[in-house]
Amino acid sequence: MNASPDMVYLDHAATTPPDPAVVDAMHRSLSGESGFGNPASTHVAGRRARAAVEQARARLAALLHTDPGNLVWTSGATEADNLAILGAARLRAHRGRHLITMRTEHKAVADACAALERQGFEVTWLAPERHGRLDLTALEQAFRDDTQLVSIMHVNNETGVIQDLRAIGERCRDRNVLFHCDAAQSVGKLPVDLSALPVDLLSMTAHKFHGPQGIGALYLAPRPECRIEPLLYGGGQERRLRPGTLPVHQAVGMGVAAELAAARLEEDLRHYARLNERLWRGLESIEGVVRNGGREHAFPGILNVSIAGIEGESLLLALEPVCVARGSACNAQSGEPSHVLRALGRSDHLAQSAIRFSFGRETTEAEVDFACRRYAQAVAHLRTIMPATAVQAA
Amino acid sequence: MDGAYSDEVRRLFADPAHAGDLPPGGSRTASVEVSESAAGCRVRLSASGNAGRLSAVRFRAFGCPHLLAAAEAFCAEVEGQPVTALLARRVPALMERLAVPVEKTGRLLLLEDAAKALARELLEDSSDGTNDTQT
Repeated sequence: MNASPDMVYLDHAATTPPDPAVVDAMHRSLSGESGFGNPASTHVAGRRARAAVEQARARLAALLHTDPGNLVWTSGATEADNLAILGAARLRAHRGRHLITMRTEHKAVADACAALERQGFEVTWLAPERHGRLDLTALEQAFRDDTQLVSIMHVNNETGVIQDLRAIGERCRDRNVLFHCDAAQSVGKLPVDLSALPVDLLSMTAHKFHGPQGIGALYLAPRPECRIEPLLYGGGQERRLRPGTLPVHQAVGMGVAAELAAARLEEDLRHYARLNERLWRGLESIEGVVRNGGREHAFPGILNVSIAGIEGESLLLALEPVCVARGSACNAQSGEPSHVLRALGRSDHLAQSAIRFSFGRETTEAEVDFACRRYAQAVAHLRTIMPATAVQAA
Repeated sequence: MDGAYSDEVRRLFADPAHAGDLPPGGSRTASVEVSESAAGCRVRLSASGNAGRLSAVRFRAFGCPHLLAAAEAFCAEVEGQPVTALLARRVPALMERLAVPVEKTGRLLLLEDAAKALARELLEDSSDGTNDTQT
C-alpha cells in the first residue's frame, strides 16, 4: 500500500464489497444464464429462473445446516426482523402480548418491538451485563405466563459481543416461547448450525458477508409452533409469508456468497482475529483509549473504541480516508450517542467518541497499520484544538 | 456523511491557525469558556487587547467539524479589529458561508455567547491584567 491511499475501508459491519465471484454470478444471471423469467411462472423461462433461485436457497441452507424449505427470501435483515417479530407477535396475540428483548438490539428489532408496544403489547427491555452479554438469570426472571417471543441478536453490530444462542434458546423452549435471533452480523462470518441450535426464527442479510445489498432471508424452524403472519399480501410466493416477485440475480448472488462463506469461514475468522489484535495493540497505548465490549465473547471482525476528550464527529472526519463508523450505520444520521454503548454503562461523553472498526476478507495488515497511524494523528490534531476541560467532563 | 462538509469547512478544520492558547506575556488578556449541555459542546475564546484592538485571538472548542471550522473563521475575522467587533452578529453569515446545517445553529451560537463575554471582560477591565471566566 502507498503512503496515502484514496480509501481504507474498515466498515464491513455496515456493508461488505461483493466478492468478484458474486458479481460474476449476478452478471451472468442478469445476462440470461438463468433466464429473465418470473420464478413463479410455470413455463420454461419461469422454471429456469425458479431453478436458479432454488439452487441459491440450497447454497444458503447448506451454510446454515438446515433444509432449504426453512428459508424465506426477504429484502434484507430489517425486513426479516420485522416479519419475524411482528408476524409472530400478531399471530400469537390471543395467547399473550408480552415480548422480551435487549436494550442493545439493532434498531430493526428495537423499533419493531417499540411499534408493538404502541399497539398494546408489553416489552421487557433487558439491560446487558457489563461486557454486553445477556444476563441469563435476568432473562429467566423476565419470563411471564403471557410471554410469546424473545428476540436477542447473535453478534452485536456495534461491539461484536456474541450472545449464547443455545442457552437463550433452551430457556425459551422450556417455556414454549418463540426465540427470534437477528443474525445479520454472524451469518457467513461465524458458524451458525441451525440443525443444532434451539432457534425458531433467524434473520440474515447477504451484504454483510460479501453478497449483494437488497436481499436477505428469514429462517423458520420446522416446528408446528413456529408460525408467523405475513406483513404483506399479494401472490403466494415464499409460502405466502413474503409475497412478491423474487429478484433472481440477487438470490443467485446471495447463494454464491453463502457458498464462499461456508468454504472460508475458519480462514476468515483467523484473519479477523489477527487484524483485531494488531489494531488493538496499536491503539491501546494512545492516552484515553478504551475498548467497548468484552474480549472473551466477541466477534473479532469488529473492534469498537472510545477516547476521552475527543468529539466523535470531528474524529470521524479527521480519520479520513479511513472509512469507519460511529456506532451503527443505520443510526449514523442521528448524531446521538450510541444506545448500545450507553446500555453498556458508557457515559454520553465516551459513547459519542466511539469509533467502530470492522474488517473484511480483503482487509490487509497494511490497511490496519495505516488506520492505526491515522487514528493517532487524528487524536493528536484534535487535542491541539479541543480544551482540556472536555477531558475533565469525561 | 459524504458531502456533509464544504471544502472550506474541511480546509479550516484541517488547518486551524487560531487554535490553541495565547502566547505567554503580551498586553491585557482575557479568556472565557462557554458550554451547552445538550450536545456537550464547548468553546473557549482568548484574546489580547492593545489600544482597544484585538491583537491576538485564539480558540479551543469541543464539538463537530462545523463548530471547529466556524471558530477558526471567527477568530480570523475579528483578529486585528476593535474589541467592539466581538459584539457584532456573525453566526448567520458564518453559517451561510460554511454551509452549516440549521440544526447546528445552537452550537454555533456558543461562539456569539463567548464573544460577548470576552468583549465584556476586555471592555470592563480598564486595568492591565488577565481575566479568565467560565460560563
